[in-house]
Amino acid sequence: MTFDIGNMSRRNMLKSASVAALLASSAGALVAPRRAGAEDAKTVRVLSVEDPFFFSMKAMIPEFEKETGIKVELESLSYDALQTRLVSAFVAKTSDADVIAVDQMWLGQYLDNGWIISLNDYIAKDSDIDLADFIPEVLYSSNMWRGQIATLPVAAYAQGVMYRKDIFDSFGIAAPPTKASEDWTWTKYVETLKSLEGKSFGGKPLFPTVICGSQPSPITHMFTQLSASHGANWFKSFPGAPWDFSPQLTGPAWAKSVELYRQLYKLSPPEAINYVWFDAGTRFAKGDIGMFYWWTPYFYLVKNNGYMTGKKSDVMDKYATAALPKADGVAQTVSLGGWSLGVPSSSDRQDNGYAFIKWATSKATQKKMAEWPDLNFQFSDFARKSLYEDADVKAIYPYLDVQYDMMKQGNGKITRPPVPGYTAVESVLGLTLNQLLTGSEDPKTALERTNSLFESILKGNLMIPYQKESFADTLDGAKALIGTLGKA
Amino acid sequence: MHATTIRSQRALAPVRRGFVRRNLPYLLIAPSVIMLLALIAYPLLFALRSSFYFWNLQVGPEPMAFVGLDNYVQALNAFDFRAALTNTLILSVLGTAIEFGLGLTIALVLLKALPGMNVVRALLILPTTIAPIVVGFLFRYLYDPGGGLLTWVLQSLWLPVPAEGILGSPTTALAAILFVDIWQWTPFFAIVLYASLLSVPDEIIEAARLDRASAWTILMRIKLPLIRRTATIIVMLRFMQIFNTFDTVLVLTRGGPGTSTRTLGYSLYEQGLVNFNVGLVSAQTWITVLIVNIIVALYVFFAFRNEEW
Repeated sequence: MTFDIGNMSRRNMLKSASVAALLASSAGALVAPRRAGAEDAKTVRVLSVEDPFFFSMKAMIPEFEKETGIKVELESLSYDALQTRLVSAFVAKTSDADVIAVDQMWLGQYLDNGWIISLNDYIAKDSDIDLADFIPEVLYSSNMWRGQIATLPVAAYAQGVMYRKDIFDSFGIAAPPTKASEDWTWTKYVETLKSLEGKSFGGKPLFPTVICGSQPSPITHMFTQLSASHGANWFKSFPGAPWDFSPQLTGPAWAKSVELYRQLYKLSPPEAINYVWFDAGTRFAKGDIGMFYWWTPYFYLVKNNGYMTGKKSDVMDKYATAALPKADGVAQTVSLGGWSLGVPSSSDRQDNGYAFIKWATSKATQKKMAEWPDLNFQFSDFARKSLYEDADVKAIYPYLDVQYDMMKQGNGKITRPPVPGYTAVESVLGLTLNQLLTGSEDPKTALERTNSLFESILKGNLMIPYQKESFADTLDGAKALIGTLGKA
Repeated sequence: MHATTIRSQRALAPVRRGFVRRNLPYLLIAPSVIMLLALIAYPLLFALRSSFYFWNLQVGPEPMAFVGLDNYVQALNAFDFRAALTNTLILSVLGTAIEFGLGLTIALVLLKALPGMNVVRALLILPTTIAPIVVGFLFRYLYDPGGGLLTWVLQSLWLPVPAEGILGSPTTALAAILFVDIWQWTPFFAIVLYASLLSVPDEIIEAARLDRASAWTILMRIKLPLIRRTATIIVMLRFMQIFNTFDTVLVLTRGGPGTSTRTLGYSLYEQGLVNFNVGLVSAQTWITVLIVNIIVALYVFFAFRNEEW
């Protein structure tokens, strides 16, 4: 075969050059991954949500890299964007990260679908994880599904009360208790708020409280604390076996909770109907709110003027925390939530992933995160018991006793059951609650309608009748698992 | 060997050239057709197939059962469907009409050789370059009941502002979202219509003026008919865009209070990216596609019934 370059047209020459360039670049691409592969073994990709814990964790990462020689590629996204990206990657079966932040509500879905791995084997082989140091209620609520520990908690949240000491002193109102007590009830809470109605403080009109009214998640997060305190259950039988997801919204505890939440809205700024999570917190930080209850990260976030600004708020030295009220004659249930870290099954560096999780959730790292001074000290969301007794940490976050007391009464599986299809029913509940705050509809009628919608959605999602295997998901079972894995 | 190769190449060359010449139009549009099929037809057909299956990623990673039209029935009977459709139609029709009217007015002003028009033209395009989600956050602060600029302006003009805030009241929330869309997209109409008006021949306008036609007559009888095709197309495009609005709704109100600002686009977002119900959201997508296409088909039919389209 001959090649007559003299007869070659310019077009053919360009074609040949292009093909050569393409081949050269392809060859480079084929070689590059192999070269990168050796480096990749010393890398861990972490995909996180940009919640308050993220910033202090990010600040500690150079220490992890120094300790282990593993380079961390950290990326953060908003809540919605994170979930969308994770699910897209899982469905496409692509390896997008080696460690992912997992909301407690996603745990069952991710594990049942085989998208994340169980950490049971890793934990069982790990002699210094100190599993017994984790608060069992937290692990049970956020990390365990069907007898598997699939994630470990990097930031655990309960709910508690924040109030203005100076306002309470000024009006001669007794401070709410820091420990749960039979006398500190929701009725008493509303009475206390009513005593602040119509008052002014520091020349500004005062609102007794503030709530979250925006649908669907913010209002549901706040309301379900109230309903759980009153003993309301979402389903006929969950988390205990056999699972029966027939909705139970027509029970008296739900109607009573709605009435109470309506009263709280009447004592709040009217625009709270549109408030999402941080709106309620930043409103308290502005200084015209007497008392409210919310997720425990707000115990430190309200020190900021605005959301995570690092600028000191007007209430920084004027507020205190207290225990959540309970309902008369009903055992208290506190809402637990937060963020955990898990390893995707698509990751080809699962060992690195577990090493990162172990480091990020360890007592030492969590303590350093708490001592990180930026943003007015922004981390006290401990899932480890020992940190609630640590004198150094307690000196920075004086409310830790209150927070720990709330954690110990927590049960996230009752307040917001992390069952498949939860978000669909939450959408309906959130909408109903939002409508009930501004409308005049009888709560009982609205809840009956919502109950029917729940039933229809759950039937549509093949949850009624439940066709998969049930699991007796109890706190005692969780404690037993912690004991077994801890001793292994 | 070399001679044979050259001979055969020369013999083939006219055949190849003839083939290319005969099929040139098809070859030229082939890349576009392939792209359209890959990017539009495939997802739509995939959604059509999925709409007949029970496939919820919260329940299982794969489609679990063929359910026929169940997803369509569920979508049409959903608690928020009627409200979402009504709000979407209100936003789309009013938004497009107001943006067109204001855009045309601005375009006519731009035609006047007033000082500073070059700067105005450059500034006009700015809102359209901002991502809707960012615009949403911007207006969230502007509407803030505790000192937002727009709330303050309304109060200063003695106009009533609901106690719950502009975004917190069912009576004003949808109008607030409409206002955001108008703020962002009126400049788009203005710029496109201005460019079209520039193409209207001066001689015709001059002749009309010599015939003592009023400015209104010139606009209605000469300018608008001459830019009708461009105007019709941008009205259609904006209508379809507003019909799919969800990002500003997500940031400003999350569909509330109640269902007062829920749109079909927001419901699609919620079913698809929050509830991950692939089957149901596929059915909703097809319902939305059908509604939009029926409206657009009617619009095109009436707009171009007397001329070639």
